[in-house]
Amino acid sequence: MILQLILNGIIAGSIYALVALGFTVIYRTVKFFNFAHGIVYTVGAYVAYSVLTLDFRQWTVDYVKWGVAILIGVIGVGVLGILIDRLVYFPLRKKKASNLIFLLASFGVFIFLQNLIQLIYGAQILTIRTGPVKEGHQLSLFGYDLNAIITNIQILILFVSLGVMVGLWVFIHKTKLGKAMRAVSDDSIAASVVGINPEKIITASFAIGSALAGAAGILISLETNIEPTMGFSAILKGIIASIIGGIGSIPGAMFGGFFLGIVENLGIWKIQAGWKDCISFVILIIFLLFRPYGILGTKIERETV
Amino acid sequence: MEYLLHILVIAGIYIILTLSLNLIVGYTGLPALGHAAFSCVGAYVSSLLALNFGISPWIGLLIGACVAMLISIVVGFPSLRLKGDYIALATFGFGVIIYSVAKNWVSLTRGPMGLPGIPGFSIFGYQISEIWAYLILVIIFVIITIFIIGRIVNSPFGRILRSIREDEIASEALGKNTAKYKLLVFMIGAFFAGIGGSLYAHYITFIDPSSFTVMESITILLMVIFGGMGSISGSIVGAMILVILPELLRFLGMPSSIAAPMRQMIYGLLLVILMLKRPKGLLGRYRFI
Repeated sequence: MILQLILNGIIAGSIYALVALGFTVIYRTVKFFNFAHGIVYTVGAYVAYSVLTLDFRQWTVDYVKWGVAILIGVIGVGVLGILIDRLVYFPLRKKKASNLIFLLASFGVFIFLQNLIQLIYGAQILTIRTGPVKEGHQLSLFGYDLNAIITNIQILILFVSLGVMVGLWVFIHKTKLGKAMRAVSDDSIAASVVGINPEKIITASFAIGSALAGAAGILISLETNIEPTMGFSAILKGIIASIIGGIGSIPGAMFGGFFLGIVENLGIWKIQAGWKDCISFVILIIFLLFRPYGILGTKIERETV
Repeated sequence: MEYLLHILVIAGIYIILTLSLNLIVGYTGLPALGHAAFSCVGAYVSSLLALNFGISPWIGLLIGACVAMLISIVVGFPSLRLKGDYIALATFGFGVIIYSVAKNWVSLTRGPMGLPGIPGFSIFGYQISEIWAYLILVIIFVIITIFIIGRIVNSPFGRILRSIREDEIASEALGKNTAKYKLLVFMIGAFFAGIGGSLYAHYITFIDPSSFTVMESITILLMVIFGGMGSISGSIVGAMILVILPELLRFLGMPSSIAAPMRQMIYGLLLVILMLKRPKGLLGRYRFI
C-alpha cells in the first residue's frame, strides 16, 4: 500500500515538476507569478485530445498518432505562450508595471482562456481512449511481489519527464541560448550591456516554459480525464513546488515537484483524497512563513523576500 | 420585476464585499486574494447555527462575522511577514484551504451537497420573505457598511492605512506599529465579508462551497479594481456594473451553459484590459501598488 502511494506520488510529482519547471523558466526572466501558465497546460491537453480524436484511417499505428499529437500540442502551446507574452506582458513591461499588475493580468488571461475552452468543448469531463496501454504491471523485486502497480502510461510519464528535465539542464548549462537565459535571469541590465537582447530571451523562455507545461498537460491527458478547470490546480501545485524548492531554481523546481507529489499522496493514506489541495496549501503557508526562499533557494531571493 | 429586485439584492451584497475588500486592497495596499473565504465562513457559521440550534439569523449574522474576523487573524498573521505578491499567494492559499474545508468536512457542512432550507430573517415575528423587503434590509446593511468604512478611512486610523500603502517603512519610522494596523484592517474587512456571506446565505436559503471559490474572490477583487482603488463610490459603482452587466447576456437569450462562461470571459478580459489601460480603475485616485 505505502509503496503504491509513493509510486503515485512520484508520478504526480513528475507532472508537478514539469509544470514547476516551465513556471520557473519563465519566472527566472520575468520575475512574476505567471498564472496563465496553468491554462497553457490545459490547452496542451485539449490540443492533444483534439488531434487524437480525429479519425484518420492511415493512423492505424497508435504510436504515430501519439507522436503527432504530442508534437502539435507542444508546438501549439509554445506559440500560445509567446502570444500571451506579446499581447499582454510586453505592453506591461514597457510601462514598467508592478509585479502585482502582472499577476492580476495573468489571472485575467487564465480566466478568459479557461472559459473559452469551456465554451468550445463544454464543461464536462473528456477522456482520451488509450486502450490496452492503460493496463498495469505488477512491480516485483527479485521475485518478491511489491504490491504496487504501474501502467505503461505512467512509465511513459516518468521517462518523458525525467528526459525533459535532463534535457533542460543540458540546455540551460551547455548551450549559448541557455547561457544567455541565465545571464538575463541574474541581471537583465548587465546582460543587455554585453549585447544580449532581453526581449528575445523572454520570448524564448515563454516558448520553452509553455512547451514544458503543454507537455505536462498532454501526458496527464493520456493518464486521466481532462476538463477545462484542470489547469487551476496544476498551476497552483507548480507554484507551490517552485516555492518549496526555492523560487527561480531549476533543480529546486524538480525537487519541489517530487516532494509535493509524494507528501500529498502519503497524506491521503490517512485522510480522504479530497483534502489533497488542503495539504499542499498548508505546506505552502508553512514554507512562506518559515522558509520563503525554499529548500534550494538562491541567496538573491533570500534578500528580496 | 422580481428578477430585477433579485439582481439588486445580489448587487447590494457584492457592494458590501467590495467595500470591505477595498479597505484591505485599495486603502492599505495589501493584495488579498481570498476574500470569498471570509464570506464563506460567515455564511456557513450563521446557517449552521440557524439550522442546528435554531439561533436567530440576526445573532447568527453577528457570530458568523466575528468568527470570520477570528479566522482573518490566522490569515493576516502570516501576511504580516510577507511582501507584495507573496501576500497575494498566501491569502490565495487560505482561500483554497477554507473552500477545501467547506467541501470536505462533510459531517459538518454536508460538503458539495450544500445546506438547504436556511431560514430567512424575521422582524418581530414578521418573516422577511418578499424580495423587496429583503432589498430594503440589504440596503440598510449597505448604508451601515458605507458609513462605517467611510468613517474608518477618513479618521486618523485611515490616514495610517494610507501611509502604510504609500510607504510602509516611513510610517514605521514615524512610530506606527504597521503590523498591528495591517492585522486590524484584515479583521475589519473579514467582519464585513462575513456579514455579506451571511446575508447571502439567508437570502438564497441554500449554500454550497461552489459559491465561495477562489474565482469568486478574484471577481470581488476585479470589482474593487474596476471601480477604483481606494474609492468608496468606485466600489459601489464597480460592484453594481459588474453584477448587472453580465445579466444582460441573459436578455440576449443565451442559455446558461453559454452565459456562465461568457460572463467569466468578460471578467477575465476586463481584468486584462484594466491592467493594461487603467490599473487604478474607473474612479480610483491612487495608483495600484
